[in-house]
Amino acid sequence: MAKMAQNLVSVEVITPEKLFYKGDVELVICRTLTGDEGFMAGHQWATKLLDIGELRIKEEDKDEYLMAAIAGGFVDVKDSIVIYTDAAEWPEDIDANRAQIAKERAEKWLADNPEEEEVEMRKREAALRRAVSRLTIRESGMKGGKTI
Amino acid sequence: MASGDLQAVKRRIRSVTSMEHITNAMKLVSAAKLRRAKTSFEKSNQYLHFITDSIAEIFNNAGEVPEKYLEGGREIHNTCYIVVSSSRGLCGSFNSNIIKLAETEMQGDENSVLLTIGTRGRDYFAKRGCTILKDFTTPPENMTFLDSQEMSTPIIEMFDKGEIDKVVLIYTSYLSQIEQAAVKVQLLPFEANLDPEVMKQNKEVEYEPSVGDVFNYLVPKYMETMLYGAIIESATCEHAARRMAMENATDNAREMLGDLSLYYNRARQAAITNELIEVVSGSEALS
Repeated sequence: MAKMAQNLVSVEVITPEKLFYKGDVELVICRTLTGDEGFMAGHQWATKLLDIGELRIKEEDKDEYLMAAIAGGFVDVKDSIVIYTDAAEWPEDIDANRAQIAKERAEKWLADNPEEEEVEMRKREAALRRAVSRLTIRESGMKGGKTI
Repeated sequence: MASGDLQAVKRRIRSVTSMEHITNAMKLVSAAKLRRAKTSFEKSNQYLHFITDSIAEIFNNAGEVPEKYLEGGREIHNTCYIVVSSSRGLCGSFNSNIIKLAETEMQGDENSVLLTIGTRGRDYFAKRGCTILKDFTTPPENMTFLDSQEMSTPIIEMFDKGEIDKVVLIYTSYLSQIEQAAVKVQLLPFEANLDPEVMKQNKEVEYEPSVGDVFNYLVPKYMETMLYGAIIESATCEHAARRMAMENATDNAREMLGDLSLYYNRARQAAITNELIEVVSGSEALS
C-alpha cells in the first residue's frame, strides 16, 4: 500500500498523570455521549464529551486497532486531535481481578441501596460502568485487537 | 582547665555529631523524594495547559456560555480559599510562607471559608478561629487525581448553590531547586482570558452535546486539574524546601563540630601544659 502521509493526523491521549499515547494515526474511534465516533485527518473542528468506554486507534499500515479503556473525558479536534481523559489503560495493563471486584462491589451497593441520593447513585453507577468497560476491553483486547 | 569541662565538651561533640547524622540522612531522603516528586510534577505540568487552553478557546469561540462561571456573573460575598500546606515540619519557611500569603489575602474578608490540605495550615487557621470547610491530611505526595476530584466536587456544588462566590487557590509554586514562591490563583469565577492569540479563530467548532454541556463539564475538570497540579507542585516544593533546610542544618552542625573540636583540643592542650608546669615546678622546688 502506498503511503499517504497527508492522511494522517496526530493524536495525543492525555491523563492527569502522563501522556498516554502520542502518534500519527489514520483513524481514531472514541465513544462520545451519543455513540461511537471516528475521527480522521481533516475532520471539522469539534469539542465533544466522551463516555466511559473504549478508544480505538488505527495506526498507519496496521490491520488491527490499538485498544484502550478510558474513563470519560473529552476530545478536542483541531488540526491535531487531543483526547483528555481521567484515566486510560491498555488491555494488558488492566487488572481483571480488581475490575471484577469493583464490579461486584458496585453491583452489590446498587442492589442494597435502591433509594440513595441521586449524586451518590450516579457515582456508583459510573464505577460499575467503568469496571464493566475494563473487563470487556481486556477480554477483547487480549485476543489481539479487532481486525478491520 | 578542669577535666569536668573537657568531659562536657566531649559530650556536646558527640550529641552534635549524632544530630548531624540525622539531618544528613533526612537531607538524602528528601533529595530522593524530591527527585521522584519532580518527575511526576514535570510530567503532569506538561499536559496541564491543554485543558486550560481548551477552556479559554471554548469561551472565546462560543457565544452562549453559562454566565455563572464567568467573572462578573454575580456579586462576590463569600470566598473559599484552598490552602495547600504540608503535613510535616522541618521544611524551613515553606509553611509559614503559605500561611502568610493566605492571611494577607484573607484580611478584611470576614465571610471567607477555608479548605485546607495538609495539617500545618489547618492547625494554624483552626487555632485562629477561621471557618474550615473541610480538611485533607493525606501527605500531598500520596494524593491521587481521585483525591483532588473528591476535594473539588463539594466546592463546585457550593458554588452552584451560591454558598460561595469565589474560589482562590493558594499554593507554593516551584521555581527551581532552591527557589519556591507562594502564589495565588483564582479558580472561579473563571477569569476571561482575552488573549488575542486565542481569540483569532474563525473556524466553526462543533460542540457535542452542546456548548453549555461541554462548558459545564470543563469547568469542574479545570478545577480538579488545577488542584491536582497545585498539590503535586506543592509536594515538590515541600521536598525541595526540606532538602534545603536539612542541608543548612547539616552545614551548621559541621561548623559547630569544627569549633567545638578546636575548643576541645585547645582545652586538652592547656590541661597538659598545666600538668607539665606543675611537674616541672615541683621538681625544681625539690632540687
